[in-house]
Amino acid sequence: MITAESDEELVKKAQADDERAFGELIGRYESKVYSLALKMLRNPEDAEDVLQETFLRAYRGIKSFQGNSTFSTWIYRITANSALMRLRKKQLPMVSIDDADEREAPINIADWAPSPVEQLLSQETQVAMNEAIDALPPEFRQVFVLRDIDELSNAEVADILDLSVAAVKSRLHRARLKVRNRLATYFGESKTRRAMGAKT
Amino acid sequence: MMTCKEVLDSLSEYLDEDLKQEVVEEMHKHIGVCSDCRAEFDTLTMTVKLYRHYEQPEMPASCHDRLVKTLELEKMRSKSGQSSSGSGA
Repeated sequence: MITAESDEELVKKAQADDERAFGELIGRYESKVYSLALKMLRNPEDAEDVLQETFLRAYRGIKSFQGNSTFSTWIYRITANSALMRLRKKQLPMVSIDDADEREAPINIADWAPSPVEQLLSQETQVAMNEAIDALPPEFRQVFVLRDIDELSNAEVADILDLSVAAVKSRLHRARLKVRNRLATYFGESKTRRAMGAKT
Repeated sequence: MMTCKEVLDSLSEYLDEDLKQEVVEEMHKHIGVCSDCRAEFDTLTMTVKLYRHYEQPEMPASCHDRLVKTLELEKMRSKSGQSSSGSGA
C-alpha cells in the first residue's frame, strides 16, 4: 500500500533539493493559495500574481523554514501578507482600522434573515456579497476571509496573521457587523424594488 | 438579564460557539423578549451562513503552467548563482 507523504516529509525532502517534493507541495496548495488570494483581492490577475509570488518566496525560503509552524500555516501566511501588501497599495484613501469602527448609522435591519439561504443566494446577492468584502479595510478583510469563508479556526487565523486570538475575535466581530450592514442595506433596497415592481 | 450591549458584543462569540452555557441561556432569554436584539442576532447569523456558501471560480490551468515556468526560471537563476536571498520562516 502506498501511503501519501506528509507535508513535513515533503518539506524535509524539498530542503534537500528534492524538486519532486517541492512540486508535490505546489500540487497540494496552489489552488488553496489562489483561492485565498482571489477572495482577498477579488481580481483574477492579482490572485495569479500572488500565487506566483507566494511560491517563489516559498521556494527561496524553504531551506530556512524551521517548522515552527506547519507548512500550510507558513504558505497561508506568505499568501495573506502578499495579498495585504497589494490591497494596501490599491486602497485609497487608507482607512485606519481603529477609525473604521462601526460608525455607520444604525441600520434599518430588513426582514431578510428568516429566509432560507438558498433563496437569498441569487447572482445579484453574490455581487452584493463581493461588494461587502470589497468595502472592508484590508486587515478586517484578511480575518473575515480566513475565518468566515475559508472556515479556519480563530487560533489558526491568529497563527497565520501573527495576531492574538483576542485580536482576531475583535476584528472578526467588527468585520461581520460591517458586512452585515452592507447586506442589510442591499436586502432592504432589494425588498423596496420588489415592492415597487409589484405596484406597477 | 443581560443588557442589549452585552448581547450585541457577544454575538460573534455566540456564533463561534465560544460562550459558556449559562451566557448562551441568558442571551436566548434576552433575544426572546427584545425584538431589536433578535433582528441583530438573526441578520448576523444569516450573514455568516451566506458566506459559508460563497462560491468563486476555480484556479485556471494556465496559472499552474505559469507557476511551473516561473519556478524553472528561478532554478536556472539559482544554479547560475544569480539568485537573490530568500525569505525565512
